[in-house]
Amino acid sequence: MNEQEQHTPTLHILNKAPEHPRFAACLGTLATDDVLVLSENAVLGLANRQANLPDGCLALEADLAARGLNDSFRNQAISYADLVKLTEQHPRIISW
Amino acid sequence: MSTLIVVDQAPYGSWTGREALDMTLSLAAFDQPAALLFTGAGVNWLRTGQAPEHVGQKSAEKNLSAAPIFGVEELLACSESCQRYGLDDANTIGGITGVASTAETINRYRHVVFAG
Amino acid sequence: MPTTLSYTLVITGAPWASQAPQTALNVAQELINANHRIDRVFLYGEGIHLASALSTPPSDEKHWPRAWSEFLTEHSIPAVACVASALRRGLVDEAEQARYELPASNLRAPFEIAGLGEWVEGSIQSDRVLYFHGSA
Repeated sequence: MNEQEQHTPTLHILNKAPEHPRFAACLGTLATDDVLVLSENAVLGLANRQANLPDGCLALEADLAARGLNDSFRNQAISYADLVKLTEQHPRIISW
Repeated sequence: MSTLIVVDQAPYGSWTGREALDMTLSLAAFDQPAALLFTGAGVNWLRTGQAPEHVGQKSAEKNLSAAPIFGVEELLACSESCQRYGLDDANTIGGITGVASTAETINRYRHVVFAG
Repeated sequence: MPTTLSYTLVITGAPWASQAPQTALNVAQELINANHRIDRVFLYGEGIHLASALSTPPSDEKHWPRAWSEFLTEHSIPAVACVASALRRGLVDEAEQARYELPASNLRAPFEIAGLGEWVEGSIQSDRVLYFHGSA
């Protein structure tokens, strides 16, 4: 067991639709300085009024566009290159 | 640095739990600190008296019970999930530590891995 | 000067059953563009299907195993399909074909078949390990 006193800012990459149990499980672990990136089916969380996402969560624009959501959530959309940048900045990454 | 492998899928209906167990035992075999967390439907891996030969599969019970001997540091289970599935000391394999919060447990480990 | 990081990529979702191979390939391409090193790509569970030499999608659809093998070859990235996951699902190389007296082998180059030790090694050595799972 790690004896970390302070939380390491973490990048969470979530690809599950809002109804999948892992979606809620991921949200439950988020700390204030963590970053959440929605990919694949998880981008639907933005369209889901009950999804309870944190402010500032990001979504892959390719997945938003695929699902017809690009126009609605443009300021939260990021590219794969942006995601790579986030992985550079976060030594702790959880792929849900 | 310790790795936490999380099993949130039920046994026998899919292979993800088996694959998670293989990953955990591999880490242990290479002397890497590893722990297992069972949560959600995944806690059903821990029930005693499983007889998966009825569905043509092998039991994980022996491997799980022997996990500490192989070097797996901890077998953890979400207490709330256990309660929901009627798991208590009488019908759960030994050596399991209950945790009140899956989220807190996950945040105690540097590396957190799902098998699928 | 930005640092070069090393990555291990683990794919557990199959092509045509998940987006895992697609998301992973897009990320892998951007890792190379950003001058990072991909130590290894490791296929596990259903992800092993990405290494099949026999996949034959319709000609107007993306050929994921071929796209991946071209990418791996172009950038000389080691790639492994986990032996336990591969064999039971019917992905075998010539050695396993001979060992089990099977009618054929079907592993697509440059993938190789190896054990979970490769994943453990990647976890130890790489700066970052990213997992691409199915979403079912």
